[in-house]
Parts: sequence; structure tokens; C-alpha cells
Amino acid sequence: MGRRKVCRFCADKTMLIDYKDSRGLGNFLTERGKIIPARITGTCARHQRRLTVAIKQARSMALLPFSAMYP
Amino acid sequence: MADNRYETLVLIHPEQGEPGLKEIAARIRSLMEDQGCTVNQVWEWGMRDLSYVIAKQRRGLYVLFEYRATPKALQEITRNLRLMDPVLRFLSVRQAENAPPASARPVRRPDREELGEGGGGDFDGLGEGEGA
Repeated sequence: MGRRKVCRFCADKTMLIDYKDSRGLGNFLTERGKIIPARITGTCARHQRRLTVAIKQARSMALLPFSAMYP
Repeated sequence: MADNRYETLVLIHPEQGEPGLKEIAARIRSLMEDQGCTVNQVWEWGMRDLSYVIAKQRRGLYVLFEYRATPKALQEITRNLRLMDPVLRFLSVRQAENAPPASARPVRRPDREELGEGGGGDFDGLGEGEGA
């Protein structure tokens, strides 16, 4: 059924995981600001680990929300 | 002595304004140099919206430092940053020796600088989640 997902970071080696890139990291967050599981995004375990670290670093610097506010 | 590549992002109280940012950035820089670090780059991001309220502020000033330091020096820098009142937050990260410089990485997001102070209650630092 579903197409096999490929890790975006493995597919494109030039793509870096950086806590300062709040735009890029935003792709791996829900609208509420929760981290999207690797099984949904297809990210491999290695990159998902780095991704979560980067997201948490970005959160601590208020570049990303811990949780979105209610409208 | 062995030194490492580090990068430190500092969040400064918005009250300081852009001139205050420059001054504090210069202070931090000289602090680093006093510790025997070589500062490679200083990036002033300027005023940005915060994703959540820190110290009752919705916006803040960011500066990014790229430098080489010994672990001892980093400790001392960290201690001093904690003592600086206008510094709300900071984050030091060790960079791999072969990592590209910060300038080569995507960072810039021009923020609404034109929005005056006390612009009311709308909170729009949350737009990060959209777009695929």
C-alpha cells in the first residue's frame, strides 16, 4: 500500500540539521509544536535523534515553541 | 592547549534595543578574547519574535558568536554570561571541525523590525509549523 518513505537527510546529504534553522525544523513539528514521530516522516533513527536534539535546543532559545498557544 | 570550535547563541532583553545589542555583543566578544579565544564571527540577528514569553517579553535580540576556545575558557564564558543581567538565555554548542561556518547555513529570517514597541497583544511567533 504505502510508498516506502526515505529519510530526507539521507536522501539529501547537503541538508543539515541545525537548531538555528527554525524554518526547516518546523517541518518536523505538528501545528501544536510537538515533534512528529519518525514513523510518520520516514526519518531514519540516526537523523531523528539529531533532529530531536536540535528541536529541543531551538526550543530552549525560544526559536521554536514548546507548545502552541490556543487561538 | 587543545581548543574546540564553539558557537554560542545569546538572547538579550529587547529593552536594550539595537544599540544596546551592539554594546553587549562587543562586551561578550572582549570577554571571549580575554579568555584567549579567537572569535571568528559575530552575527547580529537583531530583533526577533520569541516563540513563547520569556521575562514577560514577546520579542528578543539575538547574537551568534562563532569562536575557538579551550574547555576552560568556555566554562568561564558560561559563568560570565550567567552573571549578565540583560542576557535572558544562551546556548553554547560545540561544532565539528569540518562543519561549515554559520554563514553557510540557513538562518536568516527577517523579522518585523518595523513593528513598534508595545504593539498590542497579537502573538505571531508561532507560524513555524506550517509549510511542507
